[in-house]
Amino acid sequence: MPAIEMNELIQNGLNRAVELMALAAYNSFKFGKRNTIKMVSLSIDDLKEIAEFCYSLGDMSPLAARDGRFVMELVKEPHAVLLIGDKRKSDFNYNCGACGYRTCAELNKAEEVEALTARGPSCQFKNININIAAGAAASMAWRLGLHCRVFSTIAFAAFALNKLEGIDIATSVAVSAAKVDPFFDRHQYWTKEHWDEIFAKEFPTFTRGFFGAIEE
Amino acid sequence: MSIERSMKQFEDDRKEAVKIAARLLLASATTTPRVGGVGECTIHILDDECKIEDLCQAVEKMAKENERWSFFTRDAMMLRDADAVLIVTSLRCYTDPADTNCNMCGKLTCEYLKESEKFPDEPGIAYKGPLCIFRANNIGYAIDGIVSLARNLGIDYGVFWSAGAAAMRMGIVPKNTGFCLAVGISVTEKSPFRDIPLKYDEINERTMNDRIIKRLWPQFRSIYS
Repeated sequence: MPAIEMNELIQNGLNRAVELMALAAYNSFKFGKRNTIKMVSLSIDDLKEIAEFCYSLGDMSPLAARDGRFVMELVKEPHAVLLIGDKRKSDFNYNCGACGYRTCAELNKAEEVEALTARGPSCQFKNININIAAGAAASMAWRLGLHCRVFSTIAFAAFALNKLEGIDIATSVAVSAAKVDPFFDRHQYWTKEHWDEIFAKEFPTFTRGFFGAIEE
Repeated sequence: MSIERSMKQFEDDRKEAVKIAARLLLASATTTPRVGGVGECTIHILDDECKIEDLCQAVEKMAKENERWSFFTRDAMMLRDADAVLIVTSLRCYTDPADTNCNMCGKLTCEYLKESEKFPDEPGIAYKGPLCIFRANNIGYAIDGIVSLARNLGIDYGVFWSAGAAAMRMGIVPKNTGFCLAVGISVTEKSPFRDIPLKYDEINERTMNDRIIKRLWPQFRSIYS
């Protein structure tokens, strides 16, 4: 049997890991004994498109731009992103009130509101179901020793770019087999000057000795 | 009724195992992801039989409030068999929208959600929506933190929204709680959350014991002794 190169081993393992994560998400606990979630593993081309889209939102959302820059780096090493979504309307008939409508029928009849991030209003329990599924996928990734983070930003962008048909709400789980965990302490995506400027703006009193001091 | 000492020891140790497991599940739920990295969930453990019974009675009381909640009585009976109940709350979804303008609630911006009128505190309303769905989604992660570890520990579990809503009614969770779910756990040989008869609120181990053993056996003993 010929030797299998390390890079190939890792990529094959990652492909298998995403399948197991999807399986865990599919089999996770769901309210209402209904399994209506939809899933897709995003391709590298999808992710590059998502990265550019996020970056283009920079004026509106610095966080999206940061995540756009981050995704461009993420795809340079072995990675995978699982997108999980569902429809927004309720088929539970719980009439719980969390969505702001007294009954599920009222929610389902309400006017649909389009946005780049999701279609609303959506059933709280539909949302809980996809987030439990995301948790199960993340839990599986953690057990498999992968670097992992749950991303709303990537999911919102994937929704806007229609990467998964027939969904109104979405979340995503990104995993990586990079040499260093890429998901946390992402200081490289901000310049020190920008960080200092934003911190001073958001927390103006932090460096003042006396709270009555007047800003220069 | 006489029970062998070793059997009593087993029962004591089983209850101790429940207390340890509940706290480990709390730890797992606490460290799950939070949207935006902002902490807002609390997890509360009820491992006292009397407190669980109070919760079950509150669930049963709510069953009469809304015609869609008739299954609450069955939930309450299942929860009576639970050894502990974990209640997971979301504190910010009621008062502090995430400012992501995500539109999951159907309001294009979070400002619109802040301005919208909430449901009053009245019977038939479980959660005083509209809530920030993006924030309340954190409960999904926390619930999976509990379920995932419970599976690894070999602990039986059942997830109930009825008990979460009842806990809010009882005021045993923080006052800003907007959304709340509950997980019952059990360390017994047969999961009390599976294989449940449809009329479980009427036909269950308690009523069977009461009707057959506790009622018939004393009479049988009186007559035939």
